Amino acid sequence: MNTFDLLMLGFSEAMTPANLGFCLIGALLGTLIGVLPGIGPTATIAVLLPITFFLPPLAGIIMLAGIYYGAQYGGSTTAILVNLPGEASAVVTALDGYQMAQQGRAGSALAVAALGSFFAGTVATFGIAIAGPMLSSFALNFGPAEYVALMVFGLLAATILASGPVLKAIGMILIGLLLGMVGTDQATGAERLTFGSLDLFDGIEFTVIAIGLFGFSEIIANLERSGSEGVKLAPMSRMWPTREDFRRSWPAVLRGTGIGTFLGILPGGGATLASFSAYSLEKKVSKHPKKFGTGVVEGVAAPESANNAAAQSSFIPLLTLGIPSNNMMAMMLSAFMIHGITPGPSVLTNQPEIFWGLVASMWIGNALLVFINMPLIGLWVKLLTVPYRLLYPAILLFCCVGVYSMNNRIFDVLLAAGFGLLGYAFRKAKCEPGPLLLGFVLGPLLEANLRRTLLITQGDPSIFVERPISLTMLAATVILLALMILPSFRKKREEAFQEEEA
Amino acid sequence: MTCLKSLPLAAAMLTLAGAAHAEWPTDRPIEMIVAFAPGGGTDIMLRTLAPYLEAELDAQFPVLNRPGAAGEITYTALSQSRPDGYTVSSLNTPGFLTMQIDRKLRFDPADLCPIARIVEDPGTFIVPASSEFQTLEDLVAFAKENPGAVSIGTTGVGTDEHMAMLQLERTAGIDLTAIPFGGANEAKTALLGGHITAIGLNVGEYATSDKNAMRALAQFAEERSVLAGDLPTAKEQGFDVIMSSERGLATRCEVPEDIRARMAEAVDAALANPEFQAQAKQQSLPLSFQSGADWQAAMPARLDRYRDIFALIKEGQ
Repeated sequence: MNTFDLLMLGFSEAMTPANLGFCLIGALLGTLIGVLPGIGPTATIAVLLPITFFLPPLAGIIMLAGIYYGAQYGGSTTAILVNLPGEASAVVTALDGYQMAQQGRAGSALAVAALGSFFAGTVATFGIAIAGPMLSSFALNFGPAEYVALMVFGLLAATILASGPVLKAIGMILIGLLLGMVGTDQATGAERLTFGSLDLFDGIEFTVIAIGLFGFSEIIANLERSGSEGVKLAPMSRMWPTREDFRRSWPAVLRGTGIGTFLGILPGGGATLASFSAYSLEKKVSKHPKKFGTGVVEGVAAPESANNAAAQSSFIPLLTLGIPSNNMMAMMLSAFMIHGITPGPSVLTNQPEIFWGLVASMWIGNALLVFINMPLIGLWVKLLTVPYRLLYPAILLFCCVGVYSMNNRIFDVLLAAGFGLLGYAFRKAKCEPGPLLLGFVLGPLLEANLRRTLLITQGDPSIFVERPISLTMLAATVILLALMILPSFRKKREEAFQEEEA
Repeated sequence: MTCLKSLPLAAAMLTLAGAAHAEWPTDRPIEMIVAFAPGGGTDIMLRTLAPYLEAELDAQFPVLNRPGAAGEITYTALSQSRPDGYTVSSLNTPGFLTMQIDRKLRFDPADLCPIARIVEDPGTFIVPASSEFQTLEDLVAFAKENPGAVSIGTTGVGTDEHMAMLQLERTAGIDLTAIPFGGANEAKTALLGGHITAIGLNVGEYATSDKNAMRALAQFAEERSVLAGDLPTAKEQGFDVIMSSERGLATRCEVPEDIRARMAEAVDAALANPEFQAQAKQQSLPLSFQSGADWQAAMPARLDRYRDIFALIKEGQ
C-alpha cells in the first residue's frame, strides 16, 4: 500500500461515528482545560487514562490526543485575553496577543491564533504521514552534544526576545538560569538552593513561575493603574482580522509551522522552544522589530502556529520509535500500553489502522477545533467586558486552583504569589520576564546535556566540533552573535570618527 | 467532682470511637496517596487496582498524587495522617530504603508499615539491537580492556540502575561510566541514537519497548521474572548483581492490626481476580504479592545491601 492508500484507510477508521464522537469530546475537553490556567492536559489525561480501558484502543487514543492539541488551542485564549499563559508554549503569545486585546483587537488575535494553529496542524499532520519515520531517525541523531549546541543557540536567541536593552535581557536570562538550578542535582544527588525545604527538592514548576510573573503581576499592575475599575479597553473595533492582518500573518504562520514541526520532533521542551524560536525569528526578519511587544499580529501568528505544529510532530518519535518526547507523550504511551499495543515500527506494519487512524483523526480534530473556536471567539471577547472587580478575583481563583492541583500542595500557590510580587518589581524596573522563562527552561537542559556529553567523551570537548549538526549550530550561534554585536560596533566606530573630524 | 462528671463523657466518646472503628471501611473514602506524578508506573498500577479494592472492601479509594522528593513528600504526609485506616500510600523500594541512608528525613520510616507488596520488577541492562554485545559477559570483557569507555544510562545517583551498575563494577572488577538522564525515556532515546553503550531499565519497562530495536543482556533478580522467562539472570551468567524495584501499599503502623490485615487480604483477593490479572498483563506489571509483614521482614537485609553500595558511591566521589 502506498501512503495515499494508507491515509485513506486512516480516514475510513477515523470517520466512524464513534471515533468522530470521541475526537469531538477530546477536542472540547482540551479547549476547556486549555482555557483554565494551570490545569494542564497531562493531569487531565492521567485521570481519564483508566476510563480508556473500556473503549476500543483507537477511540481511546483519539480522545486523549484530542485533549492534547485541544489544549494548545485553548491555551492561547487566556494568554491573549488576560495575559495568562496556561502552558509554557503560550508565554510568547501573551507578549503581543495581550497588547492586541487591549487595543480592541482581541477578536483578530484569537482568530489569527486559531487559523494559524489549524494551518500548522494540517501541515504537521501530513508531515507525520509522509516523512514520520524519516524525521524520527533524524531526531535520534540528536545526542547530548547536539542538544548543547541547540541550547546555546536558543539562549542567545532569547536576548532577541526582549524589546528593551540587551543588558536587561541578559540579566533576566541569568535569573532564569539561577531559578533553573533549584532542586536536586541529577549527576551528584546534591541539593542546590533548596534551603533545606522538602518542597524545593524537585525544583520549581514552570507553571508556578509563569502564573506568578505574568498572571499575578498583571493583576497587581492593573489594580494599581486603575483600581477595581480595571483596564480601560479600547472599544472593540472588529471581530475578524483585517486584510492587512492576513497579509502580515501568513508568512509568519509558514515560518512558525516549519520551526514547530522541526523542533517538536526533538525530545524535551520541543513545543516551548518552538514557540520561543518562532517569535525570535519573526522579530529578526521583521522590518519593524521595535514594534514587537506592542501588539503586532505576527507576534501571535508565529508562536501559535509553531506550538501547534510541535504538538502534532511530537507524536512522531512516539509512533515510529515508541519513545515519548515529553510528559504528555509518556501519558499517550501508557494509553497505548493499556491496550497491549507497543508503539514502534512494528505497529506501523502490523496495525496500520491504529497509526493512520490517529494521524487522520488529528487532522479531523484540528478542523473540529476551528469550528468550535471560531464561534466561541465572540463569547470569549465578551468576557473582557465583565467588570474588572468581578473578573480579577475569578482569575486569581482559577490560577490558585490550577497551581495547587499540579502537585496538590499549598506551597506552590505561595511560591506563585511570591513570583507575582517579583514580577511586579520587574515591571517597575522595565525588565521583561520572557527571557527569564526561556533561561529557566533551557538552563537545566543545557547543563544536563553538557555534563552528559563530557561524561561520555571522558572530558574531551572536541566532540562539539567533530559532529556536523553540533558544528553547524555552533557556527550559526557565532554568526548570530557577530550580527548582534557588529551594528553597534559600527555605530560606535562612526561616532569615534565623527569625534575625530570635529 | 470534675473527674466524675467527665467519666460518662469519656465513656460515651469511647463507644463512639468504637462505633466508628467498627464501621471501617465504609465510614468515608479511603485516600490513596501516590508518591509520583499522574501517568507513571506506580500511578497507573494503583489507579488500575483501585476499582478492584473498592469492590473487595465495598469502600471508595480516591487517588491523590503528591509527587516529589522521590516519595518523601508522600511518606511525610502519610506519617502525619490520622491512624484510622482511611489513609494509605504507595511504597516503593529501593527509594524508600535508600532515602534512609543518605538524607535527613522529615518522617520516621519506622512509622510506616507496608500493607502488601504488589509488584517486583527486576532491573536489566539493555543494548541497541545493533550492538556487538550479546551477553553480559561480552560487555564485561570489553569494559575490562577499555576502562571507562562503556557508558551506562541511569536516571540519577543512587537509583536502581546506578546501584546495579556499581554492583557489576565491583563483582566483575571493571570501570563503567554512569550517564545520568532525566528519565527512562530520555535514556532510551540516547540509546537508540547510539550515543551511549547501554541503559538500565526495569523488566516491566523493557517488556513494553519495541524488542526489534533493543536487546536485554541480563536480569538482576534471584529468579527469572514472569515477564522475561527466557532472559538469563546475572547470577546465571556468573555476576552477583541483584537489583529490583518493588511497589506496594503502606499505611501507618498505628493503624489497628486487624484493619491492616483486612487491607492486605483485599489486596491479595484483588490481585487474584482474573480480570485484574488480564489488565496487569497488558500493562506488563510483574505481579508478585507479598504480605506486609513478610515484605517488612525482608527490608533490613535489602537496606544493608544498599548501604554497602552507597559506600561505594561515597568512595567514588
